[in-house]
Amino acid sequence: MRITRRLAAMAAPLTLVAVLAACGGSPAKPGGNNAAPKGHMVHGGTVNMGWSGASPNDIFPLPPVTNSDGYNANLTNPIWPTLVYEGDGAKSAVNPQESLFTSINYSNGDKTVTIALKPWNWSDGKPITSRDFTFVYNLLKANATDWLFYVKGLFPTDVSSVSTPDSHTVVLNLTHSYNPNFYTEDVLYNIPLLPQHAWDKTSAGGAVGNYDQTTAGAKAVWNFLQKQGADMSTFTTNPLWKVTDGPWKLAAFQNNADWEYVPNKNYSGPDKPIISRMNNLVYTSDTAELDALRAGGALQVGSLPLNDVKQIPVLQSQGYSTVNQAIPGVAMIIPNFYSPTVGPILSQLYVRQALEDLINRPQLVAKVFAGYADPGNGPVPLVAGGQWVSPLEKSGGPYPYSPSKAIALLKAHGWKVVPNGTSTCQRPGSGPAGCGAGITAGEPMNLTLAYSSGSTTFDQQEAAIQSSEAQAGVKINLKSEPFNTLVSTVGICNASSHPASTCSWQLVDFGYDPDNGLYPSGEGWFNTDGSSNQGGYQSAEMDSLINATEYGSSTQTFYTYEDYAARQLPWLWLPQQSNIVVYKSTLGGITPLNPFSGSLNPEVWYYTSS
Amino acid sequence: MVAREPGIGALAAPEPEGPAGAAELAMAPPAPSPLRRVLATFLENRVAVAGVGIVVLITLFCFAGPLIYRTNQVTVHLNLENLPPGGKYPLGTDGSGYDVLGRLMVGGQSSLELGFAVSIATTVIGTLYGAIAGLAGGFADAIMMRVVDTFLAVPGLVLLLILVNMFAPNLFMIIVLLSLLSWLGVARLVRGEVLTLRTREYVQAVKVMGGSRWRIVSRHLIPNAIGVIIVNATFTVADAILTMAALSFLGLGLPPPAANWGGMLSNGLNYLFDGYWWLVYPPAIILIITVVAFNLIGDAIRDSLDVRLQRL
Amino acid sequence: MTAYLVRRIGQAVAVVIGVMILTFILIHMEPGSVARSILGVRATPGRIAIFNSTYGLNEPLYAQFVTYVKQVFHGNLGISYQLQQPVTSLIGQRLPRDAVLLGISTALALIIAIPMGMYQAVRRNRLGDHVFTSVSFTLYSMPDFFFALLLIAVFAVQLKILPPTVPPADSVGALLADPRALVLPVVTLSLVTVASFSRYMRSSAIDVLTQDFIRTARAKGMPERKILFRHVLRNSLLPVITLLGLSLPGIVAGAVIAEDVFNYPGMGLLFYQAATSHDFPILLGSTLVVGVATVIGNLLADIGYAVLDPRVRYGRP
Repeated sequence: MRITRRLAAMAAPLTLVAVLAACGGSPAKPGGNNAAPKGHMVHGGTVNMGWSGASPNDIFPLPPVTNSDGYNANLTNPIWPTLVYEGDGAKSAVNPQESLFTSINYSNGDKTVTIALKPWNWSDGKPITSRDFTFVYNLLKANATDWLFYVKGLFPTDVSSVSTPDSHTVVLNLTHSYNPNFYTEDVLYNIPLLPQHAWDKTSAGGAVGNYDQTTAGAKAVWNFLQKQGADMSTFTTNPLWKVTDGPWKLAAFQNNADWEYVPNKNYSGPDKPIISRMNNLVYTSDTAELDALRAGGALQVGSLPLNDVKQIPVLQSQGYSTVNQAIPGVAMIIPNFYSPTVGPILSQLYVRQALEDLINRPQLVAKVFAGYADPGNGPVPLVAGGQWVSPLEKSGGPYPYSPSKAIALLKAHGWKVVPNGTSTCQRPGSGPAGCGAGITAGEPMNLTLAYSSGSTTFDQQEAAIQSSEAQAGVKINLKSEPFNTLVSTVGICNASSHPASTCSWQLVDFGYDPDNGLYPSGEGWFNTDGSSNQGGYQSAEMDSLINATEYGSSTQTFYTYEDYAARQLPWLWLPQQSNIVVYKSTLGGITPLNPFSGSLNPEVWYYTSS
Repeated sequence: MVAREPGIGALAAPEPEGPAGAAELAMAPPAPSPLRRVLATFLENRVAVAGVGIVVLITLFCFAGPLIYRTNQVTVHLNLENLPPGGKYPLGTDGSGYDVLGRLMVGGQSSLELGFAVSIATTVIGTLYGAIAGLAGGFADAIMMRVVDTFLAVPGLVLLLILVNMFAPNLFMIIVLLSLLSWLGVARLVRGEVLTLRTREYVQAVKVMGGSRWRIVSRHLIPNAIGVIIVNATFTVADAILTMAALSFLGLGLPPPAANWGGMLSNGLNYLFDGYWWLVYPPAIILIITVVAFNLIGDAIRDSLDVRLQRL
Repeated sequence: MTAYLVRRIGQAVAVVIGVMILTFILIHMEPGSVARSILGVRATPGRIAIFNSTYGLNEPLYAQFVTYVKQVFHGNLGISYQLQQPVTSLIGQRLPRDAVLLGISTALALIIAIPMGMYQAVRRNRLGDHVFTSVSFTLYSMPDFFFALLLIAVFAVQLKILPPTVPPADSVGALLADPRALVLPVVTLSLVTVASFSRYMRSSAIDVLTQDFIRTARAKGMPERKILFRHVLRNSLLPVITLLGLSLPGIVAGAVIAEDVFNYPGMGLLFYQAATSHDFPILLGSTLVVGVATVIGNLLADIGYAVLDPRVRYGRP
């Protein structure tokens, strides 16, 4: 399954706690928990990290709508970090050291946001100022619909005015008052600062000006920068990309998309890189990456597919350590409420409840994911969700595994249940004991589940689900396709548009959908016309609950939305697998990890020698 | 077919423009009882006989086996996953808890059915097409053969990928798709044969006597070309099984709970490093032995048809 | 001979055009939306519309085809939707890699198969022949992914004497700089084709051995060794050349499984990824290249045949 590592881009610096004992030489930098390797810290060294299936191809930090390659963020974020840096040590929280602001204050009923920028510099020595923020704002304002991360109604259209009282302060006046957690962690999270003094031009030879201040100019600058950004052959030579504010700069970009960093000597932040080179090596498949890890030598950091967890002892004997990283997101099966064949069946809550009751999530976690997975109790992951996990989810969610309940539910609604066969509707009609509106007499419970091929654990999971649903006569037909093919045939289907060509799917499992940010709102997932609401779930109640989570900051409001979603099953909840990071034991600074690290904080990594 | 062009069956592949090349010319057997001579030569080749024996044994294993050794190949039992051989499970269990020995039998049914079905379909379509093209001659022949060339020039993998994505993946569809790709080689071969044979006197004689085209095709051309056709048919079985394995590896195979040797092997290879050898070697060995057997049979038939060998 | 050549070339061109039309139709028959496949899961109808109009996907098929053909005549194979790079430069990067890998593999296969085939022809139906047959058939019958993974498991992971993947290289020179890395992929690919080459060689060597002029040479007292090398080898090689011609498309089309397993992005993976993501420009461009290679290969094979067999040259029955 292709995990879009867009969110995996946020690195976590270490919280500076106690300094560990040294043995002469420079003291080893604090490594947090027990995983700090022994020995002194060595300055320098090269780290090779494996990426399976990665293919970055655009270096401009504001990706266009036509390029949804999630790996571009992995390429650009270490060079131009975003304003809000998520993941702090072992905590899912905003990271104060690597973020570009000193404070973000909400006032005026949460309608005014005052951002104080840190007094940092660009790599060419010029200071980072609020003009850089307005540069980004202007570019996005003129080209919002062309920006990949644009969410209708949010930044920058929800900003009624921007002002810069001084060179390090930005004041945004919003059109609504938003929940500060939501706004900082989900909205401002996507925005980098860009060097206006170097990039505000419309042609390579042209002069830098204030073109971004007019709409036409902003469009011209955007088009110019996008074109430059897509030219892979000039990633390392184009003078534009040499003006950076992050801890790294790009040293090399190979034909096969390997991307290699060296430290940015002029990085203003406290976490300056200790190693001297960081190479991100692309592998065609998990197998090739694992082979490289097993053969030793080529890779110091990689990830281990879950079906190979038995390899952990072998890898450990070869000098590697492993650490488990929860992925912030939700794994699910999406039902298509507008499927011409089974839409009416899937629209019935009791049917979805029965389907969920038949999925033995704890067994999937234990057997398929070898324990390395979030139990999947609802719309918020248990570990990555931090303080936002409601008591209902913590206790296992509203639908523990219960085939008997599922059978009872179906029978109560007029289905003839045929275990290991196909159940059929005997009492059509929309009464309380009937199958439901639109379901005909004798209609079979026959559903096709499409999922993305290429992952052993997924194949195993879907086969197990198929077999488990059969206990109540729910016949699931599996259809596995390569991820891109799946994406092309499974469209967004809702009341306003459900064309037959892309809405004939019934159930789909894409893997998982990443959280919007630290604040796991359901925006885009379950609201009407949400951009990730593939199946077209629609409920006024849900819309108003999601809205409520975006304004005002009450935890209870959030729990209300969360429990409602958990119960309503707009998606069928599945365990969300974790990522197992494999790294050379002599490499310190990799732990503690948090779900938002994405193991991409090489600026705090270091080799040790004993 | 996917990664093996030209394969072992390519011996007669180069498309002759005019009368068949040296090899083909020499291959047309003398008319009286070719079958008996072929059979005699075949039976002398002990390796080939072994091949037939192997195919028979494996077919029995796959089709008669499950009647004696019953296992559940549908229900997933995760608590029984990846058990090593021993006790109740002579060859252990796989990732979904299925008994491996039983799965080899069921998987073999799919693989063999696929191989035979593709081979038969390919042979029938290809033979008819090739015979008609060869007989028709002239412009019709040129067009028909250019169509074949066109299909052959599109990389097989591309065709397969596109076609596989279009249809629901079940055994029947895959048989159809693989047949669509394999008949081209047979068509060429048969056409070459036909071109050679139609110059023979007895064909001319039939024509002079007013025999219909269909009669010529069915009574004279096909029986004499049958040797080449059978050879190709056996190689097609082998190639189909291997192509199915490649498709499974690329993730385009059959969905669970369907089983086939190639799928078992490619799934099992994920556990190669974990030491679950029973997931890898049993399907690998049975697949390789079956494919080798078919190749040996085909090779032996070809040798028996080869008259030149008689002269040495 | 010239008339023959001209006719064949004309037919070759027709086939290439046919290939383009066929591919064009096939890729547009694929279900699902190209835009969605490239833009990803969150594509909105608005963005899909922009995508479709940018790439002219709303035009009728024949119009799109004509536009494409015009483009090709200007040497422009389009820009990949997914990778956002010109198709020509993508193919330019990947094709040499496949040429190196498959070229070396084919050469190695020949080096093994020719003497083996000769030996089998001379000692036909005896133990040596049977042993070689069994070994080469077994190798041929192994699924290539199985063979590749087995080799990696033994030589790279267990014994650690060879690297399991091929490191990235920007040029052919860089590729050849670490020959150890190429050993496993080359062995995988060549051992599988040794079988077919050696069968062919064996058959054609037997063919030559039965010719009258060999009998004459023997009768004249020429030593067997000389007969073998002077007459048999030379004469049985010619059909092998036709086989080489037929291998040409394989070299250009790449080997997707070997590329996947050995981390060696070449034409095979380019195809595979383009096919699954509806990346039309790549599909059309690479098919064109392979199609051209196929007809050239066939042409060379047929010319080889015509050159060696005068009976073929002079028309049909």
